[in-house]
Amino acid sequence: MSQVFDRRTIVVLVLLAAAAILVPAMNMLAAPGSAFHLSDHLVPLLGKYLAFALLALSVDLVWGYCGILSLGHGAFFALGGYAMGMYLMRQIGARGVYANPTLPDFMVFLNWKELPWFWYGFDWFPFAMLMVLLVPGLLAFVFGWFAFRSRVTGVYLSIITQAMTFALMLAFFRNDMGFGGNNGLTDFKDILGFPIQAASTRVVLFVASAVALAGGYLLCRWIVTSKLGKVLVAVRDAESRTRFLGYRVEHYKLAVFTLSAMLAGVAGALYVPQVGIINPGEFAPANSIEVVIWVAVGGRGTLAGAILGALVVNAGKTWFTGALPELWLFALGGLFVFVTLLMPKGILGTAEEWWERARRKPKAGVAPDALPSAAE
Amino acid sequence: MSMLGKAVKGARWLAASALIAGTMAGAAQAQETIKVGILHSLSGTMAISETTLKDAMLMLIEEQNKKGGILGKKLEAVVVDPASNWPLFAEKARELISKDKVVAVFGCWTSVSRKSVLPVFKELNSILFYPVQYEGEESERNVFYTGAAPNQQAIPAVDYLAKEEGVQRWVLAGTDYVYPRTTNKILEAYLLAKGVKPEDIMINYTPFGHSDWQTIVADIKKFGSAGKKTAVVSTINGDANVPFYKELGNQGVKATDIPVVAFSVGEEELAGIDTKPLVGHLAAWNYFQSVDTPDNKAFIEKWKAFTKNDKRVTNDPMEAHVIGFNMWVKAVEKAGTTEPDKVIDSIVGIQVPNLTGGVSEMLPNHHITKPVLIGEIKDNGQFDVVWKTEGLVPGDAWSKELDGSKDLVADWKTLKCGNYNTVTKKCGGA
Amino acid sequence: MMILRDSLRALLVLLALSWASVAMAGPYEDALQKFTTDSYADTDTAIVGVASSGNPQALAVVEALRDGRLLAGAGRVVIRDASGAMTDAATGQAIAGAAPADLKPVRVNNRVRRAIEAALGSMTLMSPDAGKRLDAARAVFRSKDAAALPILDQALAQEKDATVKTILEEARAAILLSAPDISSADRIAAIGVLKARGNQDALALLSSVTGAPEVVEAAQAAAAGIRSRLELWNALQNVWYGISLGSVLLLAAIGLAITFGTMGVINMAHGEMVMIGAYTTFVVQEIIRTQMPGLFGASLFIALPLAFVVAGGIGILIERTVIRFLYGRPLETLLATWGLSLMLQQAVRSIFGPTNREVGTPAWMSGALELGGLSLTYNRIAIVIFAFGVFAALLLVMRYTSLGLFVRAVTQNRRMAGSMGIRTNRIDALAFGLGSGVAGIAGVALSQIDNVSPNLGQGYIIDSFMVVVFGGVGNLWGTLVGAMTLGIANKLLEPYAGAVLGKIVLLIAIILFIQRRPRGLFALKGRAVEA
Repeated sequence: MSQVFDRRTIVVLVLLAAAAILVPAMNMLAAPGSAFHLSDHLVPLLGKYLAFALLALSVDLVWGYCGILSLGHGAFFALGGYAMGMYLMRQIGARGVYANPTLPDFMVFLNWKELPWFWYGFDWFPFAMLMVLLVPGLLAFVFGWFAFRSRVTGVYLSIITQAMTFALMLAFFRNDMGFGGNNGLTDFKDILGFPIQAASTRVVLFVASAVALAGGYLLCRWIVTSKLGKVLVAVRDAESRTRFLGYRVEHYKLAVFTLSAMLAGVAGALYVPQVGIINPGEFAPANSIEVVIWVAVGGRGTLAGAILGALVVNAGKTWFTGALPELWLFALGGLFVFVTLLMPKGILGTAEEWWERARRKPKAGVAPDALPSAAE
Repeated sequence: MSMLGKAVKGARWLAASALIAGTMAGAAQAQETIKVGILHSLSGTMAISETTLKDAMLMLIEEQNKKGGILGKKLEAVVVDPASNWPLFAEKARELISKDKVVAVFGCWTSVSRKSVLPVFKELNSILFYPVQYEGEESERNVFYTGAAPNQQAIPAVDYLAKEEGVQRWVLAGTDYVYPRTTNKILEAYLLAKGVKPEDIMINYTPFGHSDWQTIVADIKKFGSAGKKTAVVSTINGDANVPFYKELGNQGVKATDIPVVAFSVGEEELAGIDTKPLVGHLAAWNYFQSVDTPDNKAFIEKWKAFTKNDKRVTNDPMEAHVIGFNMWVKAVEKAGTTEPDKVIDSIVGIQVPNLTGGVSEMLPNHHITKPVLIGEIKDNGQFDVVWKTEGLVPGDAWSKELDGSKDLVADWKTLKCGNYNTVTKKCGGA
Repeated sequence: MMILRDSLRALLVLLALSWASVAMAGPYEDALQKFTTDSYADTDTAIVGVASSGNPQALAVVEALRDGRLLAGAGRVVIRDASGAMTDAATGQAIAGAAPADLKPVRVNNRVRRAIEAALGSMTLMSPDAGKRLDAARAVFRSKDAAALPILDQALAQEKDATVKTILEEARAAILLSAPDISSADRIAAIGVLKARGNQDALALLSSVTGAPEVVEAAQAAAAGIRSRLELWNALQNVWYGISLGSVLLLAAIGLAITFGTMGVINMAHGEMVMIGAYTTFVVQEIIRTQMPGLFGASLFIALPLAFVVAGGIGILIERTVIRFLYGRPLETLLATWGLSLMLQQAVRSIFGPTNREVGTPAWMSGALELGGLSLTYNRIAIVIFAFGVFAALLLVMRYTSLGLFVRAVTQNRRMAGSMGIRTNRIDALAFGLGSGVAGIAGVALSQIDNVSPNLGQGYIIDSFMVVVFGGVGNLWGTLVGAMTLGIANKLLEPYAGAVLGKIVLLIAIILFIQRRPRGLFALKGRAVEA
């Protein structure tokens, strides 16, 4: 158990706890205008970053520790999001523009007469939450069961995960599917009876995201430090050899892939109420590729790095799209090239390398006092 | 203890850096300007259409400043890039209103981007001017729809084809999203009511960015060779149009045989195509660059000078922004303040000249009056106006052809309601 | 419509009667005046009036109207010829000096265009030029105007050219079938003529036949025959669409088969190389348009080598500055090239603007070839031939040149190749340049059928990867078979499932197929696989 709580884990947990306390405090308690006040529009933004961080974490679990480069994790994220979106849609009830008590607006719009069967049950929160886990989990299980059993690996696996999310995107774009087509699900009103736009609800959602991220992080830590985790790393580094040693490689892969998809689903479910819309664009292959990039930027195979990467890239994106609207793609693209070329271990890996080097130097005879300057 | 201290420091740094990011752009500016937000995609799939609108807004604002701004203050444009990403639209809208404190936003193109930002504008009580033709079925207190509603584009176009070209068979081809779906639904109901037989209507949907049109164009040709005059009503969206028209040209579908009337193809889209094989195909808009009025001439000259490009074209959504912006300026001057509530109240009934020689008015349902023009494509990428409504057509927020909305009206002046049911006499749809 | 038809009929009768008679100045000039009112209805009447006048200028007037060279205003109508010289339409006298300012081109719309076509059709049936007679016969076939019968018969009697004669006969049959008061025997004979034509137009005519029962019966039998024949052609047509889509996929993917398939670089910037090729075409055409318009027909041939050099050069630059540090880390090439692709898109957007740019189609690529019941458009034919040509060339390069040999050696075993004296660095750069250059020339072809915009490449990247992976990484033949299979399957599915569902079905099929053959259609065998 002590293995789970290494120093990095403690730092991550403390930071998350601090965020979960400080953000609400700075938003609700500090007077507007004071230096410590956190403006209302930043709360859902930070919450969104945390949801993305959880998604990045789920990718790092399969890619960093098991060598499965999924270019389709956005699909699991979006499915979780849709499950949450369907719950939120049902909560609107008769407050839609057409005041139909059961049918969402887009169905009235398209002359649907009754609710399709797959919308049943989503008005009940526990059921919707179950679906947040089950739908992505089931898809991952079925997909993984076929793929890993047939020993589809490497680039081939990456490309078919991409085909999967692309096919889902096309399917969800179809208005006939019953998920609102391109417009997706939007204009949500309540979650569990609380108005979704209230500042307090936002803060609660932020805290929930922080808690979910902490929980997800602990779960991942627990997995990678357990015996299962050792086998996963073995699979990553030498799949055939692991198989020859008698491990059922595909079972391990399948288990961790399914679990990761569920985590991604949770991330999606947290994302949707905070941004207020879910639409098929989330299935776009480009989104899934971006998640992989967050992980790479932060540092693959470190878990904490995935979180860091998601936060850094998304904060950068928010800032660039506002500050350099015409040129931000140069900045973002340049960042990716820079990180892959010069920081192959990502920000976290590189930073820790420097830290280690700096720590080792004093042992080689430098006085402890000189430590800060050595770090520079 | 030291661990906790570090953590607190870290968290503060995190929050502070977010704050810095948030306030950098805002703090640098003096208080003396009035800020206007521009929310158009500058990258991603929609950049192709929306970038022009950003430039048009910058020009309008610059021009207004040359006239001395409004209420004695200069205007300042705040440009952000929502990158064709719909959730990002909502996020950027929030940023513009909360952080940059803009008093009005001009933006959005796709319906989904508008749907995405709607809750934000309602919550933060700001103003959005939406300049693109759309499917209707909406009227919000905080949104002003300066583009065409279906009754200002689709129905007059169909009437023209039936009357002038004697069309009896119809292909309704569109991209699979809400605007074509609704428009086609309205048109189908309208045509059936006019006595067109169901077997004389073919409806076809294609995905976004569809690029291989061989099969569909062949199907259209086949459908069109049944002995009755056939026309295509196209609600095909942006990117997919170029390959569609190229295929039409290649397969020899001439306008004299099967005319195509489009609702999403304007000068800007045609600038990317060799239009010689397309001469005679049609488009229905509320504005064409070729309209010969002094106002329009002046506008085109200013636009070319502003973009320093002699070949830049103007189009309908640009005119919608011109009208919307001028209405907003007038409303602010009338209200004496930029405060959204006051502006929303004062803007209804405001009249400004449009570029086609008429005077457009903001209606109580937050749509405007516009002329409907039918243009035929010329070989130089421009349109020749072949038909025009007598006067201006008021935009309907709710379609009279659809079952769900035929009883609804929007009136923000007296009823203060966007979906008032005239049968039950209640606000709220039912 | 009715008025038009009646007056056209009247005019044709008149025309037939007074074919060689002296032109009368009165009606011609009256008709000309109608051009000056700027009303489509009047223009329509004017065309009919001018065409029926028998005036020697009539043909020139209608042709000028068709080409937008007929100017009118202030009671005057003037013909401007291609060189800009002016002739007064009424008197036929040349006008010296510049065009009077008050004259504007007479506007036309679809209705006027149809009237022009019909008028020209009946006026040029006797033209000495066989091509013009063919067009005229087709125009009459389309207008099906009973009044044209006498002159049609006259034309038929003189016609020597077999093709024109067939069309004339078909036009006559079409008129007989739709006109009133024609004997059943004549109509049944007409049905026979149209049955022989056997295409969509004939079917349309035959299925709308009404009248005597025996005629309707014959028409329906003929229609049924045509229909079943067309079904067959239809299936073939779909296969052709599939081949043509397959060629597009092949073009898009073939560069990737080198950079990704052979070199193992997950090149997300591949689509941008295609885009660069398309923009090169645009620039070449812009220069040709302004500098030497005569060369426009050859613009694509000029663009091809340039696109290869430009895209290839950028490819080599990318390889030297970024990719070469990443060999052996394929997944990281994905990240870096993704970043590069964002930057390239934005660069193009900053330089050329975000909107579509116009790339013209040379005249020789316009139009369609009718082959039995098939309609093959020239630009698609060109693309199919081009795609196979590129494929063959690439195959030869990889197989028979030393560059190809070295590339294969380096990708199979880098260290061994190095020990044998191959400069692996140089080969890497050249191979990446080759792949990028090929993507560039694909862009030249794709500029003919798609948007030339900064998003061009994004539309092809996923399909390209599917093709390469489906065919089997590292095998050019696999790419060919993969592209053709996906193209044809897509087009055969489309009529049944629709464009979207068809594509979804295909993607699922690829996923399942990879389960059966985890390394694609043509898997590389041997030790290289485990690397």
